[in-house]
Amino acid sequence: MKPFVEVNGLCLRFETSQSNILSNISFKLNPGESVLLLGPSGSGKSTLTSCLNGLFPRELDGEMEGDIFIDGKRTTDYRPGELSRQVGVVFQDPETQFCMLTVEDEVAFGLENIGEEFEEMSAKIDAALSLVHMQEYKESAIASLSGGQKQKLALACILALEPSLLILDEPTANLDPIATKDLIETIKNLQGKIPFGLIIIEHKLEGWTDLAERCLLLNRQGEIFYDGSLRHAIRRNRLQLMEQGIWLPKTAQYLLNSQPDLEELPLTVEEFSKFASTLVNVKPQPRKRTAAYTADTIVETHDVTWSTKRRDIISNVSLMFGDGEFIAIVGANGSGKTSLSRILAGIQKPSSGSVMVKGKALKDWKESLLRQEIGYVFQNPEHQFITNTVFEEVAFSLQLKNENNMEEKVNLILEICELLELKHEHPFSLSQGQKRRLSVATMIVDDQSFLLLDEPTFGQDAHSNAELMHLLQQRHQSGSTIVMITHDMEIVDQYATRVIVMNNGAPVADCPPEKLWDMTPEKLKEWQLELPVSVQIQKICEEEAYYVSTTS
Amino acid sequence: MFLQRLNPSLKALTILLFVVLLALIFDPITPSLFLIWTVSITFLFGKVAWKKYVLYFIPFMIFAFGMLWTTVIFADAPANKNDILLIFGMEYPRESILTALALSLRVLNVAALSLLFIFTTNIAHFILSMMQQLRLPPKIAYAVLAGYRFLPMMRDEIKIIHDAHRVRGVNQAKTIKEKWNNYKRYSIPLLASAIRKAERTAMAMESKGFTGDKDRTFYRQFTIRKTDWFFPLVMLIGFTTAVIVSFEMGFLKIFS
Repeated sequence: MKPFVEVNGLCLRFETSQSNILSNISFKLNPGESVLLLGPSGSGKSTLTSCLNGLFPRELDGEMEGDIFIDGKRTTDYRPGELSRQVGVVFQDPETQFCMLTVEDEVAFGLENIGEEFEEMSAKIDAALSLVHMQEYKESAIASLSGGQKQKLALACILALEPSLLILDEPTANLDPIATKDLIETIKNLQGKIPFGLIIIEHKLEGWTDLAERCLLLNRQGEIFYDGSLRHAIRRNRLQLMEQGIWLPKTAQYLLNSQPDLEELPLTVEEFSKFASTLVNVKPQPRKRTAAYTADTIVETHDVTWSTKRRDIISNVSLMFGDGEFIAIVGANGSGKTSLSRILAGIQKPSSGSVMVKGKALKDWKESLLRQEIGYVFQNPEHQFITNTVFEEVAFSLQLKNENNMEEKVNLILEICELLELKHEHPFSLSQGQKRRLSVATMIVDDQSFLLLDEPTFGQDAHSNAELMHLLQQRHQSGSTIVMITHDMEIVDQYATRVIVMNNGAPVADCPPEKLWDMTPEKLKEWQLELPVSVQIQKICEEEAYYVSTTS
Repeated sequence: MFLQRLNPSLKALTILLFVVLLALIFDPITPSLFLIWTVSITFLFGKVAWKKYVLYFIPFMIFAFGMLWTTVIFADAPANKNDILLIFGMEYPRESILTALALSLRVLNVAALSLLFIFTTNIAHFILSMMQQLRLPPKIAYAVLAGYRFLPMMRDEIKIIHDAHRVRGVNQAKTIKEKWNNYKRYSIPLLASAIRKAERTAMAMESKGFTGDKDRTFYRQFTIRKTDWFFPLVMLIGFTTAVIVSFEMGFLKIFS
């Protein structure tokens, strides 16, 4: 069969950097074939996407060598815009993929570009929207859609052009678990309906492993170091995968921790449950948690309510936050997690009710003193950067106070956060994981005892994630209280000493994680929560053991 | 709702034409009659919420009044010194008063025409129509449309950056100078994210096949129908009537 995509010896370098971002990439893809493209942050995955859809070398500031053939024709031989009928891309950020105001106009935009006849357009728009189950939103404003709906719309826009190859460039990186599942489900359904090849670029593999068996693995130097089946890669190249910070599927990761020499490795919980009878002796693993020690209250809220004109975001929340706890706040998007954390940090004033910090009402605190007690790490670390170098960034709040041994203190914090070598760099030039650690560093340099983090592990590779969690745990050990908003149940299970579930602006559960996992599946579903993989596996094992003990 | 259904480009051109015509008139009667005409048209055929309309009109009133005042005060020495009007017990040369009235009424007229357009036109449709009727290059048109989506995003972003800096212990600005310095500090992260977002949007647009080529089809078709000419006609009738009445009353003064 003639391959649909053929890449030969592709090397690419940006003008601004010395080393190649992609080097000597060669692979072939048959028509209709699906493949996972995995690699750590900065390994050139998105750059490769731009090469395949013809954006590079046309828009490239740099050099590109090698050949790319799409459907037997060199990408540079296609006229601009023509390749969009062959290769469609869904990008990572749901906010910035659109240029029109309503759903139908956006789908139409692509059709207009390829010169589709006016008479045909309406039907094509309906067809594309129905493929992703978005017909009822046809006339909605794009701004009114949720993140998951926006990604489905982006998919519909591409499908309307009927490409033979679909590239998904981390489409779920900014989505919550429920929206992620929905998007993956949508794509699975599509595969039966219309023929297309698929390149999936993702950090977290949950759900995608059924879609593609073959995987291409990129390393930090931008080389393909493996091309073949994912199962095989996990079995044979496991160390290399971990070294490169590529996430393994959670199920595989969990099983490997207890049985490193397992031959037949299940990739999903469903697969595991089929295997379960042969694998019953999966021992529960010790959690990484550090204990919470004191019961002194550091922050408490009384009947806090915050409402906008339209609705109550937070209603009647009374909570205590003990000194030295590691608390996870979970819940669906729009359940009020972020708003609650902003009220706790004194960034948002509640409409009614009071917040006490160390026994003193929040409004009686002097702003500068309050900031020495409470640190808040925003979702986008860039928003918090003020100065021009990493060192100054950390030193900033100490400078405000004219601290004596500032240099020493800053260096120590930078070392803890593994940023010491980068101290003369500009904060904006760091990698995603480094930026995140720097924003944490700026928030702990003053020995803030209460640290709030808004989804700090979003969209990071396995390596930066591990480093960040290690850093937080260190802080926790040295006595800080950590409160983090997260969608990652694995983190909740592994690190949190207490979990608060938010639903419709109010806490509906407040307990240690184990108690939450024991609640009825109906309740968890209502709160849009999923059990962590480790707990699911343990439950399957327990059931299996119970079954064995009752039948024998 | 006849004004909403008009072709946006033709509507804009008509408005522009009358703004130019008004600039040629130097007496107070023509613009005041035409002002009544324009406002009536707006409410009769536009179904505009009058509260909102009045609210938007207030700044122009203030501006027009200021203009009236300064023109009277700083007027040239009048040709006919004895021709005097008595207003609130003060004496003013008749000529200066008339010029001042003409000027400030012209301001109000331009305001009324602009509001007529703004309140009855969907901006996205206006841009799409400009591409189809006025040959606006798609590159510019879609850039403006994409930018239009960015504005609310930028506003939210400034709010977040403000909060984020506050958490860092940046002092709350009290004086204007401090506020200015704060905004200077916001500009770097704001620009960084705006540039990145713009780049992503551009990439997404290109991968949907956008080339900026003029040769494209349109899902929303804008054409100029016969009924669309009704609007310039109605406005022209209003304007000529105003000019004739003013002439009959002996006030008409045209730039020449």
